[in-house]
Amino acid sequence: MAEEPLIEIENLRKWFPIKGGFLSQTKKYVRAVDGVSLEIKRGETLGVVGESGCGKTTLGRVLMGLIPITDGSVRYSGEDIRNIPNKEIRRKMQIVFQDPGGSMNPRMSVRSIVGEPLQVNGLMDGVELTQKVSELLDSVGLKNEHMTRYPHEFSGGQKQRIALARALSLDPEFILLDEPTSALDVSVQAQVLNLLESIQKSRDLTFVFISHDLAVVRHISDRVAVMYLGKIVELADADEIYRNPRHAYTKVLISAIPNPDPSSRRDRVPVEGDVPSPVDPPPGCAFGHRLKHPEWERSITMDLSLREVSPGHWVQPCPCCTDDFRDSPEGRSKPPSWVEPEGEKEDRIDPISGAKISERGD
Amino acid sequence: MSEKLLEISGLRVHFDTLDGQVEALNSVDLEVNKGQIMGLVGESGCGKSVTSLVTIGLATCEVDEGSVKYEGEELLFRDSESTSQIKEISGYIVVMSVLLSIFGGFWTILIDPIQGRNILLGFALVSSVSWGVGFLFSKESRAHEKFMRWVRGNEISMIFQEPMTALNPLYSVEKQISEVMREHGRLVDPETPTINRIGEALFSPFSLIYRTLAAKPQSSAAFLSVMAFVIIAHRGIGARQGFADEAQSWIWLLMLVVPLMYSISNISRVRHMLTDEMSLEERVAMETSFSGSGFSMDRIDPRTGTVFSEYSHMETDLTAFDLWLRGLNPRVWLFAHRFGVSLQGLPAASAITIVVFLMLWMPFSSLMGMVVISSLLALPVIIGIDFLRLDPAHSRQVQGILEDVRIPNPEAVVKMYPHELSGGMRQRVMIGMMMSCEPKLLIADEPTTALDVTIQAQILKLMMDLRDEKGTSILLITHDLGVIAEMCDDVTVMYAGRVVERAPVEELFANPLHAYTRGLMACTPNIASTRKSILPAIPGQVANPSDFVSGCRFCQRMDRQGSTLTTRPQMIESSPGHWVEACQICLDEEEDKWE
Repeated sequence: MAEEPLIEIENLRKWFPIKGGFLSQTKKYVRAVDGVSLEIKRGETLGVVGESGCGKTTLGRVLMGLIPITDGSVRYSGEDIRNIPNKEIRRKMQIVFQDPGGSMNPRMSVRSIVGEPLQVNGLMDGVELTQKVSELLDSVGLKNEHMTRYPHEFSGGQKQRIALARALSLDPEFILLDEPTSALDVSVQAQVLNLLESIQKSRDLTFVFISHDLAVVRHISDRVAVMYLGKIVELADADEIYRNPRHAYTKVLISAIPNPDPSSRRDRVPVEGDVPSPVDPPPGCAFGHRLKHPEWERSITMDLSLREVSPGHWVQPCPCCTDDFRDSPEGRSKPPSWVEPEGEKEDRIDPISGAKISERGD
Repeated sequence: MSEKLLEISGLRVHFDTLDGQVEALNSVDLEVNKGQIMGLVGESGCGKSVTSLVTIGLATCEVDEGSVKYEGEELLFRDSESTSQIKEISGYIVVMSVLLSIFGGFWTILIDPIQGRNILLGFALVSSVSWGVGFLFSKESRAHEKFMRWVRGNEISMIFQEPMTALNPLYSVEKQISEVMREHGRLVDPETPTINRIGEALFSPFSLIYRTLAAKPQSSAAFLSVMAFVIIAHRGIGARQGFADEAQSWIWLLMLVVPLMYSISNISRVRHMLTDEMSLEERVAMETSFSGSGFSMDRIDPRTGTVFSEYSHMETDLTAFDLWLRGLNPRVWLFAHRFGVSLQGLPAASAITIVVFLMLWMPFSSLMGMVVISSLLALPVIIGIDFLRLDPAHSRQVQGILEDVRIPNPEAVVKMYPHELSGGMRQRVMIGMMMSCEPKLLIADEPTTALDVTIQAQILKLMMDLRDEKGTSILLITHDLGVIAEMCDDVTVMYAGRVVERAPVEELFANPLHAYTRGLMACTPNIASTRKSILPAIPGQVANPSDFVSGCRFCQRMDRQGSTLTTRPQMIESSPGHWVEACQICLDEEEDKWE
């Protein structure tokens, strides 16, 4: 597989400053995306899942060039995205937003909505444009007569089809789908998912599919990246990640999906609390911190960039959340504190104050 | 057979819109037994929420027929034909006679005083009499309204979909929950009697001053010394008149003193950290960070002492001024940083200087006048806030409720405002509020739709636990079949304002009879399904409510023709407890033609 990836993301960071105090000094940063490295291959669908506030939408917008990059780089077929002119990016990369009603001008007819990208880029006009729009509408399963109508006359699923037609109008290579089905009913969601798949096949598109619904992501994606607090904790083939999750967070997410089969009500992997604030993330592995895992303190000093555990299966190598790295020599200077040695007890470091706690004697 | 708690039968309602009447529900039958979790599932617009709103009497639609019985008591109220006619007529008469008496008033002024007065009085009498008649005849409906207010909260309560809009953003959690409890008379007796509370409130300004002095001795001392300086400058010592004019020219000294004070407090903090709490490695890390360029203290994690050296090149914690100064002269900047003169004190210093300058410049009498007026304005607010504070007993009661809904650290959460809480916590607060009066039936309208899967799992578990502990029945409205399968004992499937299927949950999932139920199950992607396969989607969408046919509405969606569209299919019980709307085409599995 020497094929060049379509998009390469390297150590990408996006921090949003929080202003406050006298003269709007920058006090703190929201670390929305904090060190993400990814490759998106041509023609694949990459699913990005995670809880709200984990930075999946920000990641999408940064890689589209919609908001500036704080650190790291995004390369689109080998070229840094910051060096590509805006108009060219838009011709190759398009986006479909979550709220289909909110992303359309209510005063524009469907013809102008779908045809606007073509007009702005000066590609077509007049009869030719009408022809093209009708082709596009046809490809997303809408009829010609819909062209003169306005967004409010359509249902949610139809609006999402219009948004997709608009994204397709410039014949892009890549489409970012930011929760395209979250606002839809299940039966309409199924229709839209089927449409996305058939369009991808016929036009050889690359998708990034952002969603919090793991079952939908599993259905449509080739590979899945699981995000937690601005970092990717696991990245693998979709079947592999659901069959054989390695990271504790992935396991929690998968076990939390309600199973539509009443005969097998499972015991969930319990997790307490919410996602911590990305303003002041805990050091080391953030999820181990949420779990209050005894091994968490070891992850602070470790290099937590993704490692490949089996072909194509990458996981954050923290000792607290993955069994594969529980016994890795890195960061391990003492036996884990929950293992009580028979003989004398050794010093261990309090994770909060950093002071050594002596368990010898009293 | 367990006892029926809520029984809805033959409910038919419509909304009056500009386009005419739009039917929302068409003979809906629904039962919730004691201690049961009943699921209500369907797509948007199928009438799930309307059913629940009609039940608790909050819907804005007109009820045509049907009944809602809660423990045998009828919750719906409709005036009899004659009563509503009388009320309508009396309403018209009131409006007309008020207008005519206004006309009489003008007659009095403009044409004939005596005649006009007679007209005015006459119509005023007519209007008051007809209003009285209307009031008498609405006695029953007022009694029902009172009854419904008692039922809501005490017997039936409802959790809405969006926890953000259902909570008041202006009040703290504590206040909102205690308000609900006061409304329903569930608060315990206050710990301190009212007379003590008034006394405490009157004393509160003094205690506030004392508390401030005790909590922030350094800043209070600085404030008091500045005030003393201002007074001495104005009034002078002994016989000599003040030296405020001379002092004005020295005021710029403050510009130097205040940043210096900041730096002193910084230095003491750093020393404190260096000597007392830190280990050797951390001290080394701290020293290097101080001497290295591009580093500030903030990059060292205070809990672990770890240095995030990976961020060192980003220079994110520096202000524009810092950068400018460093570019100008790195040594000066480093010196400034090392001694903690981080220039953070500059804005404060300029503000303080201006204020003190103004105080010296003003005549003393007007300065004192301002102080007196400001205090007089502030006092009632301070006293009022202190008096309105929640009684400790009530506060503990609210904390207990939050503990019941498994909110960690309830002492802190009670003081928070809704925007400070995350979605899951807000939904917990909502559930806590609804459970505070221990209702027998909880209506949960899409309680987890806006939440993440992990939080959803927590909330669902919480609701299950509440049911098991307190025996509360739950009517769970959702569109997620997964949630239904995990939570419910019985399921009702609704489509286009009608119940199409009702069965125990295992039976429904094992043996779905109606085509719509089968379609819903087939089109939901799940982990077990084949990846990238074409999902069997139900074609089309729910028809516009004004175009609904009288027959089988699912056949209408599937574009079928024939007699099923005109005659309404009967509800039949195919096996014990499993009811289905018996449209012959929809029951036939062969006819399912998914896309």
